[in-house]
Amino acid sequence: MSAVRTALLGAVLAAAAAAACVERMTAPGTCPAYCPSHRDTVLDVLLDTGILRDSAFRGYVLANQSAVMLAADLPGLVDSRAIFRFSAVGQRFPIKLNDTTTGAILAGDSARLTFFITRRDTVAHDLTVRLYRLPITIDTTTTFADLAGQFTDSVRTVNLDSLMAKANGKDTATGDSIGVDTTNHRLFVSLKLDSSQARYVFADSGKVAYGLRVSADSLASVALGKGDLSPLLRWYIVVDSLDTAVKRPDSTMTGPSARGTPVATFVFAPPAPALDSTLAVGGVPSARSILRVAFPRGIRDSGQIIRGTLILVPAVAARGVPADSFVIEAHTVFADFGAKSPIVFDVTRTDTTVIHVDSTDTIQIEITNLLKFWQTDTTLATTIVLKAKYEAQALPEIRFYPSAAAAYRPAVRITYVPRFPFGKP
Amino acid sequence: MIEAVRRLGGWAVRWLAGTAMLLTSYPPNRLTAQDSQYGIRGLGTPGRWESVRARSTGGAFGPFDPLSPLMEAQLADVGHITGGAMAGTSYRDVDAGGATASLRATRFPLLQLAGPLGARFALAGGFTTYLDRSWDVTIRDSTVLRGVNQPYTDELTSNGSVADLRLAAASRLSRRIALGAAVHVLVGSTRETAERRFDDTTYTLAQQTAEVRYDGVGVSGSALVGLAPGLTLAAWARSDSRLRAKVGEATTAETDLPRMAGGGLRFAPSPSVRLAAAVAWRSWSDAGAGAFDTWSWSAGAEVGGRAPIRFGVRGGQMPFGPGTTAPTEFAVAVGTGRAFSEGRALLDLGLERLERSGGGLKEHVWTVLVGMTIRP
Repeated sequence: MSAVRTALLGAVLAAAAAAACVERMTAPGTCPAYCPSHRDTVLDVLLDTGILRDSAFRGYVLANQSAVMLAADLPGLVDSRAIFRFSAVGQRFPIKLNDTTTGAILAGDSARLTFFITRRDTVAHDLTVRLYRLPITIDTTTTFADLAGQFTDSVRTVNLDSLMAKANGKDTATGDSIGVDTTNHRLFVSLKLDSSQARYVFADSGKVAYGLRVSADSLASVALGKGDLSPLLRWYIVVDSLDTAVKRPDSTMTGPSARGTPVATFVFAPPAPALDSTLAVGGVPSARSILRVAFPRGIRDSGQIIRGTLILVPAVAARGVPADSFVIEAHTVFADFGAKSPIVFDVTRTDTTVIHVDSTDTIQIEITNLLKFWQTDTTLATTIVLKAKYEAQALPEIRFYPSAAAAYRPAVRITYVPRFPFGKP
Repeated sequence: MIEAVRRLGGWAVRWLAGTAMLLTSYPPNRLTAQDSQYGIRGLGTPGRWESVRARSTGGAFGPFDPLSPLMEAQLADVGHITGGAMAGTSYRDVDAGGATASLRATRFPLLQLAGPLGARFALAGGFTTYLDRSWDVTIRDSTVLRGVNQPYTDELTSNGSVADLRLAAASRLSRRIALGAAVHVLVGSTRETAERRFDDTTYTLAQQTAEVRYDGVGVSGSALVGLAPGLTLAAWARSDSRLRAKVGEATTAETDLPRMAGGGLRFAPSPSVRLAAAVAWRSWSDAGAGAFDTWSWSAGAEVGGRAPIRFGVRGGQMPFGPGTTAPTEFAVAVGTGRAFSEGRALLDLGLERLERSGGGLKEHVWTVLVGMTIRP
């Protein structure tokens, strides 16, 4: 009997212990009778004189340093043209597959030019590219004026919309083709050039340069890929093989005939207007604006910021086509050295907004992340750098009113929670 | 403890001793008693200074139970070194104007060690919960920010308690009179958080946390008087100073604590039947607005010897509430106990049903109590 009672007690204890494993303490508050005496207080302040010593600088990323080549035909705004030079083929070329034996190049037979269009305005119709032969002397310092007389010898004109409309995007008559990468939203264009369009000049070892212009019924503005997406020129050349002229590469070999672009840039006119007292962001060469924030010590030291907004009034709208809308970022800096302030590139401490072309609406950039970052380290300079997310990859730039313009000056709006009165009844 | 286990032997004692060691190893801020919504706006929910044995009789045996830290004079009869601890799990249903919630909490509100010192004196030390300050409240509300109404959810939590560390002494002056006195150190802390989460995630989470520390002191005295064979009268009084709350090094509040007095009567018509009743008064209104002086009463019985049956009722008032009158509470309790190893180890079980009401709120609580006592 004793053992039975002891076992019963043990079972009760075990059941109680199992039931007690999880606490559930959360209850809906019935206020104010059964709620704590104090609640969080939220304050919202507009620091309309919180931006000081602001200025703009240009020249951070040049056209030749851009990740794309910009081609645009926007009458009254800008005329931009892509220019690129392919490297030389040489004066001899392999004759056989896996054989180091080479033969002298006799002439160029044809070539295939490929390039990517990484950004375009899909509203534009009859998007047409025109290819021009340029002198091989072009380099990164070449200007629009330097090539003023060069864009006259058009070697090919291709209407990309018409090409896309053909079966599989291929023109069997010209050998041109186009592919649409719906994943990355870009076009792959392949143009066949004959020997008159792709001239192999023996003295130049096959080095050639081209310029590319675009046109459309409107909104002609595209970006051409660079780097891994750079234009390629695949040569088909006539080679001397024991006094016999053979075309290489052919079906028996795939030779090293593709040539990249050591020079790929763009030129445009008119150039970006000179900086003035406004705060410019974007454009080519890229412009950045630097703003110093007078961060109130009372908020920084004891408030918990839940939202911070930088308010900017455009003085000059960004001009261009809708596809040229661009993203600007607000960064903070490791130290404030003016135009050369090293930027903190940390996605968790960067705030962004989109600048739409032709809009003069007030811009609001959420800078909560930056303000919180400044709270964590009070030795940091409370400086904001405004820059385009992809610098020199879009021609438009926006200009905001500076702090000197009293009526439209930049401002910071901060919503924060003051210190909770813990321990007070 | 290990030595005691060896000497006593038996699996039951080993199990009890091990469990007691585990219970007593919890950090002090976990040593909290039953919570109540009534304590959220006030200082907290006062603890019950009773062992499982006394609690199972509605608290009526509190003045006469050596392991209940309500009084000191009864320690004079402790006889052997005795240690005891208890745990309780409460299942609470809250009904506030139609909004209901089911809550659950486990607490370890009591640890006492007592023993004789010479022929005429006894000493005791330990802790119990003075005020429980554990709660977690969520609130839905909205506010206008930047011209837009923004709904949000607040969650305010407090986790911790104020413990009553007691050092008590008692002496039996004669067969009929025993006296006792104690000093109390009130100490504890709560970890408090205030969190606001807006539905619009443009506004980030606001979350603040602080540890609030509490301290205070108090003294108490008590007497047991044998009126007749089997009939004993108890009386006690206690005064505490003030409860000081500190965040960091800054004192954020100082609140006056109540004076208290009470008494009880025990009648044992036979060795296996014991009856008791008790009453207490506390001047909680000293704590400020929203606090009330309270009366509480209890009556209960213990029947049997080796495995007695206990039962009792209690009622009274809660010290904090939103209205003009104090909320009230009423409880019934039953329990039993079992002695092992010739009475050197005891296991007590109790079950209490409690109802509180007042100020538009009702609470219904089931509490399962487990107590362990070791007499090496």
